[in-house]
Amino acid sequence: MDPLLDIQNLSLVFDTFDGTYHAIDDVSLSLKPGEALGLVGETGCGKSVLTRAAFGLVPSPPARITQGSVKLDGMELLGLSDRALRQVRGRQVAMIFQDPMTYLNPVFKVGTQLVDAIRAQHGGAIDRKAAREIALDMLEKVHLPNPLRQFESYPHELSGGMRQRILIAMALAARPKLLIADEPTTALDVTIQAQILDLMAELVDDMNLSMIMISHDLGVVAQVCSRVAVMYAGKIVEDAPIRDIFDSPLHPYTQGLLGALPHPFRPADDLESIPGNLPDLLDPPPGCRFAGRCTYRRPECTVPISLENVEPGHSVACVLRPGEAATTDSATKDLNHA
Amino acid sequence: MLKLIAKRMGLMVVMLLGLAVITFTVANIAPGDPARLAAGPDANQEMVEQIRVERGFDRPLPVRFVLYIEQLLNGDFGTSVYTGRPVAKDIAQFLPATVELVLFSISIAILLGVPLGVIAAVRQNRPIDHAIRLLSVSGVALPMFWLGLMLQWYLALNLDLFPLGGRLGIFSDVPEPITGMISLDAVLRGQFAVVGEALWHMILPATALSLPALAAIIRVNRAEMLEVLGRDYVTNARAQGIGPWRIIAVYSLKNAILPTLAMIGLRFGWMLGGTVLVEGVFDFPGLGLYAAKAAISSDFEPIMAVTLTLGAAFMLINLVIDLLYAVLDPRVRNQI
Ligand SMILES: Nc1ncnc2c1ncn2[C@@H]1O[C@H](COP(=O)(O)OP(=O)(O)OP(=O)(O)O)[C@@H](O)[C@H]1O
Ligand code: SF4
Ligand SMILES: [Mg+2]
Repeated sequence: MDPLLDIQNLSLVFDTFDGTYHAIDDVSLSLKPGEALGLVGETGCGKSVLTRAAFGLVPSPPARITQGSVKLDGMELLGLSDRALRQVRGRQVAMIFQDPMTYLNPVFKVGTQLVDAIRAQHGGAIDRKAAREIALDMLEKVHLPNPLRQFESYPHELSGGMRQRILIAMALAARPKLLIADEPTTALDVTIQAQILDLMAELVDDMNLSMIMISHDLGVVAQVCSRVAVMYAGKIVEDAPIRDIFDSPLHPYTQGLLGALPHPFRPADDLESIPGNLPDLLDPPPGCRFAGRCTYRRPECTVPISLENVEPGHSVACVLRPGEAATTDSATKDLNHA
Repeated sequence: MLKLIAKRMGLMVVMLLGLAVITFTVANIAPGDPARLAAGPDANQEMVEQIRVERGFDRPLPVRFVLYIEQLLNGDFGTSVYTGRPVAKDIAQFLPATVELVLFSISIAILLGVPLGVIAAVRQNRPIDHAIRLLSVSGVALPMFWLGLMLQWYLALNLDLFPLGGRLGIFSDVPEPITGMISLDAVLRGQFAVVGEALWHMILPATALSLPALAAIIRVNRAEMLEVLGRDYVTNARAQGIGPWRIIAVYSLKNAILPTLAMIGLRFGWMLGGTVLVEGVFDFPGLGLYAAKAAISSDFEPIMAVTLTLGAAFMLINLVIDLLYAVLDPRVRNQI
C-alpha cells in the first residue's frame, strides 16, 4: 500500500545567534493509511519540530529545511505556497497539542474559534451558520456535557480536559486523513488522561484516521499505537512494531528508554535514567549521536550511521546487530502485556 | 460594571483632593505675595494689607485650604487676576481647544502607532522594521518643545506649508459653538471648509504632541505582537489553516492591544502636560497656554483650577481605558 505520509531524508536547521543548530538530521519516516505510529524520545529531541516542519508550521527564519521531501498522498508538500499549505493543514492534516490551556485564544469565545477554524478548513466555502452546525455536532462527538453552553464559553471558564476535547473537536471537524497528536495528554491529570486517550482511540476508529502520536511516555504510546519510531537528538534511531520495541529493542538508547519506564511494581524514584547529556547540536558529532552516552561504543561508531532494516518492519541506526547488546530486564518488558 | 464605575468615581474624588493639597501647598510656598498681586501694581501698602485681610491671605495655610475647597464645592473657581474674568468662564473657553488638540493628537498616535507596531513585528528585523524603530527612537529622543519649534520654523516659516499658529485663520468664519471644539462644531454646523482649516491648524502642534506617544505605542505594540505571534494559540490557529491576515489583525492584535491600551492611558497624561509647551510654541489658545500665562504671573486660582481639571480629565480617561480593557478581555470582565 502506498504510504499516506512519506518523509524522506528531511534535514532542518535553526539559524541561531550562536550558529547553525542541526535540529533534524536526515530523517525518513512513513505512515501507511490507517496506521497509528508513536513517536517517542526525550525532551528536545525534535519530535515537535519534525512533525510541524512537515506541514510548514515552523517559522522560517530561524528554521531552514536543507534537504528532503515530504509527501502526503503522493503530493510533495515542501515548496508549496503558504496558501496551498493552509489547505492541506486545514483539510487533510489535523493537529492537537500538548497544553490545552495555551492552545485556545483567551479573548475569543470557544464557538467563535471553532467557527473560524471550520470555515478556514473549508477554504471559506461555508457560511458561519453551517460552520456552527458542524461545531456543535463535533462538540457532541467529543462527549462534552453541554455543547451549546461550551460553545458560548471563554476558554478560561473550562477545565483542561474540556479544553482538550474542544481542541480535538476543532482539529477533527474537517474529517482529516491524518491526525498529529503532539503529547495530547501530558498536561492533564491521570484520570483525564485516560479519558482523552479513550476518546482519541474511539475517534481514530470511527473516522478511519491515521495518526502520529508524540509522547515521551512509551506506556501511553503502547495503548494506541501499533508502531513506534524512537528519536534521539534529531535523528530516528529505531523504527519497529510496538511488540518488537518492548520485546527486542535493538538500539542502546531504546533499551535505556525502556529501563526508564515507570513500572507499577517499582517506586517512581527508582527510575533508571540514562547518564550523560544530549550532544551539542550546534556542532554535532559526525557519527552516532548517542555515542557520548553509549556503553557499547566502538571505534566504528564515529562514522555516519544510517537507519537500516534488520528484520521485517524493524529498522535501527546502530552498528550493533540483534543479539549483540544486552536486553533489558524482564520486569520492564512485561509492561506492554499488562 | 456599574459598581466599578461608582468605586472609581469615589476614588477619583479622593485623588483630586490629594492633588488639590499638593498643588495648593506648592503654589503657596512659591515666592510672591498673593495680596500684592491681587491688588495690582499701582496699589499702595495700605490697600495691599486691606486686600490681604479681605481675601483671607493672612490666615494659616490649612484654614485657607478648607475655605478654598468650600468655595470649590459651591461651584466657584475664583477669579483670574490676569484675565480679570471668573476662572470657570476661562476654563469653559479654553478647555475645548485643548481637548480637541489632545484628542486629535492621541488619534494620530493610535491610528499610526498600532499598525506600525504590528507591521514592525510581522516584518521583524527586515528593513521596514528598522525604519519603524528609527521613528520610534527619535520620538523618544526629541524633546517635544524643540520639535515643535523646528516644525514651526521649517514647515511653517520657511516653507510656508502650514500656519504658524492659532486655531483658525483670521478671516475664517468661526462656527457657532456647540462643543467648543472648532472642527467638531464645524462638522455639526455643516461648515466643511472650516473643518479642514481647523485640522490644518492642528497638524503641526499635534505632530509635536503625538510623536512621543506614537513612539511609545509602536514600541509596546511591536513587543506585544512579537510575543503573541509566538504563542501556542497562534500555532493552533495556523494549524487549522486560518489565513495570516485574520491571525494577525484579529487573533493576535486583540491580545496584543491590551498592554498597549495601558500605555495609551499613561500617554494621555503626558500629552495633557505637554500642551503647556506645545500650545505656547504654536500660540494655540487652549488650557495649556492659559496655565502657562497664569503660572508666569503667579495667578493662583487659575493654576489650581487648571490642575484639577487636567487631573480629572486624566483620571476619567483612565477609567474609560479600564472599561475598554474589560470589554476586550473576558478574564478581566469576570473579576469586576
Ligand atoms: N525557534 C527555534 N529556534 C531555535 N531552536 C529551536 C526552535 N524551536 C525549537 N528549537 C530547538 O529544536 C529542538 C527540538 O525541539 P522540539 O520542540 O522538536 O523538541 P521535542 O522533542 O518536541 O521536545 P518536548 O518533548 O519537550 O516537546 C530543541 O532542542 C529546541 O531547542
Ligand atoms: S552506533 Fe555505537 S555509539 Fe551509537 S548506539 Fe550503536 S553502539 Fe552505541
Ligand atoms: Mg514537543
